[in-house]
Amino acid sequence: MSETTLTETVARDFGPPPGKPSRQKGDGTKWFFVGPAIIWILLFTLFPLLYAMRTSFYAFRSGKMLRWVEFDNYRNLFSDEALIANLQRTIIYVIVVVAVEMVLGFLLALLFNRQMRGVSSLRTIMVLPLFASPIALGYLGKTIFYEIDGPVNRAIEALGGNAVPWLSNPTWAFVAIMVVDIWQWTPFVFLVSLAGLQGLPQDITEAAEVDGASAFQRLRSITLPLMAPILWLILLLRTIDAFKVVDIVISMTLGGPGRATELYGFYIFRTARRFFNYGAAAAQGYLLLFIVMVLVSLLWSRIKNLYDTDEAEAR
Amino acid sequence: MTQPTVHELYRALIRGQLSRRQFIAKATALGIAAPSIGLFLKAAEVRAQEDPTPVPADVAAPPVATPCDGDGCLFAGQTVTFLMPNETIQIPAFEVRDEFEAATGATLDIVLAAMNDTLPNLLQDMANETGAYDASIIGAWWLGELVEGDYLIPVDDWITDERFPQWSLDSVLPGLKNLMQYDGQTYAIAYDGDGQAFYYRRDLFTDPDISAEFEAEYGYPIPDPPELWDQVVDLAAFFNGRPLGPDGDPISGITMHLAVGQQAMFHFMSFSAPFVVGPDNTQLYWFDPETMEPLITSPGHVDAINKLVELAQYGPEAMMAWGLTESWDYFLGGNAAMSYTWGDLGALAQETPERGGKSQVKGVTKTAQIPGTMRYYNIAAGEYVDTEAPNIVGNTIGGSWAPVISKFAGAPEAAYYLMALMATEPKSMAYAARGFDGVDPGRTFHFPPPNGTGDIAAYVNAGWDEQDALDYTDAYFKLFSNPLQFPYLRIPGTFEYWLALDTHLSEAMTGQSSPEDALSATASDFEEITERFGRDLQLESYKRSFGFE
Repeated sequence: MSETTLTETVARDFGPPPGKPSRQKGDGTKWFFVGPAIIWILLFTLFPLLYAMRTSFYAFRSGKMLRWVEFDNYRNLFSDEALIANLQRTIIYVIVVVAVEMVLGFLLALLFNRQMRGVSSLRTIMVLPLFASPIALGYLGKTIFYEIDGPVNRAIEALGGNAVPWLSNPTWAFVAIMVVDIWQWTPFVFLVSLAGLQGLPQDITEAAEVDGASAFQRLRSITLPLMAPILWLILLLRTIDAFKVVDIVISMTLGGPGRATELYGFYIFRTARRFFNYGAAAAQGYLLLFIVMVLVSLLWSRIKNLYDTDEAEAR
Repeated sequence: MTQPTVHELYRALIRGQLSRRQFIAKATALGIAAPSIGLFLKAAEVRAQEDPTPVPADVAAPPVATPCDGDGCLFAGQTVTFLMPNETIQIPAFEVRDEFEAATGATLDIVLAAMNDTLPNLLQDMANETGAYDASIIGAWWLGELVEGDYLIPVDDWITDERFPQWSLDSVLPGLKNLMQYDGQTYAIAYDGDGQAFYYRRDLFTDPDISAEFEAEYGYPIPDPPELWDQVVDLAAFFNGRPLGPDGDPISGITMHLAVGQQAMFHFMSFSAPFVVGPDNTQLYWFDPETMEPLITSPGHVDAINKLVELAQYGPEAMMAWGLTESWDYFLGGNAAMSYTWGDLGALAQETPERGGKSQVKGVTKTAQIPGTMRYYNIAAGEYVDTEAPNIVGNTIGGSWAPVISKFAGAPEAAYYLMALMATEPKSMAYAARGFDGVDPGRTFHFPPPNGTGDIAAYVNAGWDEQDALDYTDAYFKLFSNPLQFPYLRIPGTFEYWLALDTHLSEAMTGQSSPEDALSATASDFEEITERFGRDLQLESYKRSFGFE
């Protein structure tokens, strides 16, 4: 008996009768399934995008549209020195936090991808920060890094060191918000990497082990290449998310001291919700969208290449 | 059959006659936009909210209004929705709710928003003409934004209308009264009086041994109170690091709240006022009233920021990241010799652990006017002016939180009734004396003789140390009555201008830029904001708000 694939079953049950053109009976059913998605996209993606686009061509005063300003809000993006500095700072932030989270999360996943006593409890504890809201972690971070008698400084002083000006010094404040981001999102990398590692075929690794490959050789030549599509995907998701960070800045530093921790997402938030300059905020939002889209395209093409290579090798 | 209005639907919602889903369906059928529906739902969420901070009976404000009956209920069936920051300043609104409802037949809904979300929520409601909020408590700097946006109802006619509880506009001290008015009309109802005063430890300043040591080092006795910022810098340097704190810990000379976004710019304003404002220059501080060009880089401003940076080195480094409460707590814990901030600190100093507070400095906290200078830079004349006596400038810096009524209110008169009730003398006196509700003194009857018609017993009965209360009320009376007042900015974009100052001030304080560069960068930001808002429009608003010809 020949096996029937899912595609064949769907074609038989829902597809047009043999010999008839496909655009006859199937249309209604197709729209039934696709319609909600289209409505969703129109309402929650396209409409806000278009509305924001319209908003970006206006100047605002006292919360009201003041006048049509053509492309001024977009032109200002390239002449606003604070914004450009802000973008540079955000890029540094994204590179550092995503890199640390990727390395740390993956190493922890390697560590926990083995049978040992209490491993499941440890895994659960490891991912707890992931389930906290970023704003809550931010406030917790502010408490932990409190400079006078805060727990971190107390620990440093107990070990004989000097208290660190975590929030009042521009450099340290930047470090502090990055630490909180890393604290929250390393578990995400850990969780997804661990799931990936557990799905890898064990026979290849075991064969290499039998052939005398060291642990590092197995990691470099087997685990990493096999994990590459997953790691690139994690990188993509974390990069997009890190560009949009707002909560941690709001709860910990409000962008200070000076502008030392002012990140791009916070900048947009403040332009809209504190200065009521919705036009400029919309244009800033479009710039962020553009940056993220470019990144997504680059990273996605890389991921696609990896999958294509895998498929070609499999054939 | 006539269709219900959205306000009628809202009232049905908060009375439980409509579910949220039914409300959304009916409001949508009326063609109400989704954001507006969202605002109504948000307002309804807090309708049944319990009083978050019950007031102890011994300091409760006395009832003033008489319960109404039948046709005597002026606003029966109406609902007043009152938007307030979720800070202690909301306490009196919850306290008065039952009395108001019994006296008018109206219902009072209090919507609490985070401090930083109150104005955005209010502005969003007004710009969309939704009318979800009838009234709100606002900071004085919002008045320009709201009046220029044509969002508020002036209340002059109602103040003398006998249907409402009576309160006197003339009871408000001059500096604060100006903040309630704009372009000749009154928009705000008396509530809170904010201004920054100077606080210091009476016990340390009057200790003979310490005073002798100070005199030996600086060549003059400890001034009580200090009248010049130069003296304050000397004092801060002298006290900083001395083991005079609890358990003999070293204390700081001064404490301030200098974090970005936490109102540090107000520290600069009150500090810099006597460097720029004086008898020959009473109003030029922010902008040139002919060109709207910023004046923030004047030599007076530069002197001030340099002196402030010098003073800040005698405080804890952590204060660069402190908001109000951290700095207040530091002083209240006995860890600093001096501070300058709002009236809340004086009131909180009375809240000892036995009373549920944290203060270690009750009975030793002295309040004085903000110190001055012996010379200021007269911007109009472009020259320094030396003064014979200390040039001391009053200020109303801060929120001076006061209720206003929305032009889109569904029940504006009922809203005014509520505000007027809270502004009556017996209630206002109780609010100011107990202090913990964030309502600070600012009306003639808040101050004991010879300054006003009040009675210090009201403060003592509310738990104050008598000497602390006498010093405090005297300092605030002088602060608000001083003919020289810091020019308070109230134009559209005020907060954006101030945040630019706040950010660059922080850069100077943390060594990221020189004080001069920080002010230049502030001026540059001011220009960009002015251009974006429209220079001519801003100039008109600026002239209107200050009464420039």
